[in-house]
Amino acid sequence: MGSHRMRTLRPWLLLAPTLALMAVLLAWPLGRVVWLSLQNYGLRELNRGTTNFVGFDNYVSVLTQPYLWTIVLPNTIGFAVVTVVGTVALGTLVALFLATLPVAWRYLASSAVMVAWAVPAITGTYVWVFLFDAADGLVTHALGGLGVIETGSVNWFLERWSFFGIAALNVVHHGFPFVAVTVLAGLLTVPTELYEAAVIDGAGAWRRFWSVTVPVLKPIFAVVTILSTIWDFKVFAQIFLMPGGSGTNREVFNLGVWSYIQSFAQGRYGLGAAIAVLLTLLLLGITVVYLRTLFVEEDL
Amino acid sequence: MRKSMAGMAAGILVVSLASCGDAGGSGGSGGSTDGGGKKLTVWIMEGTNPDASAYFETVTSTFKAKTGADLDVQMVPWSGAKDKFTTAIAGGTTPDVAEVGATWTPEFAEAGAIADLGDKVSAAGLDSDLVGSLKEAGTYDGRLYGMPWYAGVRSMLYNKDVFAKAGITTPPKTWAELTTAVEKIKKTQPKVTPFPVPGSSEFTATPFVWGGGGELATQSGGRWKSGLADPKAVEGITFLTDLALEHGSSTPAAATWTEKDALTAYAKGDVGMVVAGSWTPATLAQDAPEVAKKTGAFVMPGKSGMAPSAVGGSHLSVFETAKDKDLAWQFVQLMTTGDLAKKWGEESNYFSGQKSALDAQLASASDAQKVFATQMTQGGRTVPVTPQWGKVQGKKVIPTMMQSVLSSKADAKTATDQAAKDMDAAFAGN
Repeated sequence: MGSHRMRTLRPWLLLAPTLALMAVLLAWPLGRVVWLSLQNYGLRELNRGTTNFVGFDNYVSVLTQPYLWTIVLPNTIGFAVVTVVGTVALGTLVALFLATLPVAWRYLASSAVMVAWAVPAITGTYVWVFLFDAADGLVTHALGGLGVIETGSVNWFLERWSFFGIAALNVVHHGFPFVAVTVLAGLLTVPTELYEAAVIDGAGAWRRFWSVTVPVLKPIFAVVTILSTIWDFKVFAQIFLMPGGSGTNREVFNLGVWSYIQSFAQGRYGLGAAIAVLLTLLLLGITVVYLRTLFVEEDL
Repeated sequence: MRKSMAGMAAGILVVSLASCGDAGGSGGSGGSTDGGGKKLTVWIMEGTNPDASAYFETVTSTFKAKTGADLDVQMVPWSGAKDKFTTAIAGGTTPDVAEVGATWTPEFAEAGAIADLGDKVSAAGLDSDLVGSLKEAGTYDGRLYGMPWYAGVRSMLYNKDVFAKAGITTPPKTWAELTTAVEKIKKTQPKVTPFPVPGSSEFTATPFVWGGGGELATQSGGRWKSGLADPKAVEGITFLTDLALEHGSSTPAAATWTEKDALTAYAKGDVGMVVAGSWTPATLAQDAPEVAKKTGAFVMPGKSGMAPSAVGGSHLSVFETAKDKDLAWQFVQLMTTGDLAKKWGEESNYFSGQKSALDAQLASASDAQKVFATQMTQGGRTVPVTPQWGKVQGKKVIPTMMQSVLSSKADAKTATDQAAKDMDAAFAGN
């Protein structure tokens, strides 16, 4: 009896340090955000340490705003879909290309690719903003020189589509090296016999990719897609730092920026927390769906 | 959690009060407190004065000589300062004294984070010497929470060469003259941007709201109400945005510019005139001496004569967490009166928050500084003094309004209506 209890207890004992650490670093802040989201909480409450519970008012207020459904959610989801597809597609193409290179060149080229990943998001964002600067940017001068537009006559940051176009270039450029390097590592483990057999069977490059590479690398694609989805859903700096993204252009808010502006710019921490909770739930939902599809297929 | 911390803080307070009593407590507001062995933590905003570190070394040694207490001056960049204050308020780790942006003071006072300085100021006989607009901005519920330290105001800077080539002999005094000046520059120098209208700048727009007799917001019966949708305010915004859109005074890029971006463009030399702060000629002289040499200043043109412009600035506030408030006040007094205040004015190019010091400063001012001084003393206004104004600014109500007109997504009427709604929602706490 005692040894049985010991047997069930032992894994938990071994896990205890990790669980304790996670409780402090993850569960407590998460719980605190949920606790905040149920209150009308401003600077006054913050200073006095008082509480001001309002039930689900913040959630009702967020969920009943047409602004959420017509602007913020489409921005968040649309942007994530485009950038995840873009990042994974570009990353995979680069990985396939890198895999064909001789080893020395492969190292050189993948190091070069990694530079884009190593650049901090803030620096990268400013570079793209400079490139598209309406008055003096490289792009306006190039298009002006070609006669497509009159130099300095277009401000791309004002329109929702062009704003997110630039943001997508930035995010894809920043995110693809991770995908490329991870997929490359996977590609190098695919047994070459599989490809040889496929060639003998008369499969072309396209067919070999979809019938050999993709099935073998499925777990890797799942991981890079989930991670990219999480990153691209909660993108903040890349939007906030663009002209108009910090609050003057309400057409371009996503959930992260909206939550920040409600909490920190307007001191409505409860409402901001409610938005953050909704964003977390959305991400959890997506992750669960991904993982389920992945594991269900593994079981078969 | 918070309760136990508050309890702890109260405990510490009792202990320190008790120990104060043992020492005999000489701390009258006029006399000097014995601060030997004590340390005062001070936050000063960064980006206002290039020589700040040298200045604060002097302050530290003077303070030590006077009170025996040590100073720990920490520089905090303006950007992100509000977040830092908020976090510190939440964690109970606010400094003893801090420079607080004038529009934040009522907000911090309402939250109960900063101390009422009214009695100390009157006991020191400084009441009547405070610059009016800054005193008003530092007052919440009839009590003074922010000691006026320094002030700045926005007027117009212009490029004398551009004006000469366009044949403009005297700078514009009214809206009509401003339009004529823009047209003359446009005609004679097509490569020059006559007057960029930055879409992300609150203080470029406000003089035009006021300049036609409009109001940002008015208070009646204790409630604030936006005035942006009133015809006079709409007229001002229409005039300003028409300058950009109809008369080509601006450039499409400016629709997302901040005030700083506009000044950067001006510093390149191909801009006619720009709305700029009284501290910017000094910056310009450093960054672009060639352009600075041919730069003049004129007061904000209004519909008929000078338009009011927003006076901004900083207060020094004592936080409720300060253990020795008398010592903290001594520091505030040291900084805002006498030699150190004078030196700060000379080095920072800001106007003093004390009338007597301001007069002394103006006696030796440059031509441009005199223009700004006229603007401040005769045409200076504060933005609505209410804790909610911080939320209006946080919501970027005015920049959002400007940007939507400058990007042609809305006309001035629609945009001001929306802005008035947004502002009223912020006043109502939504």
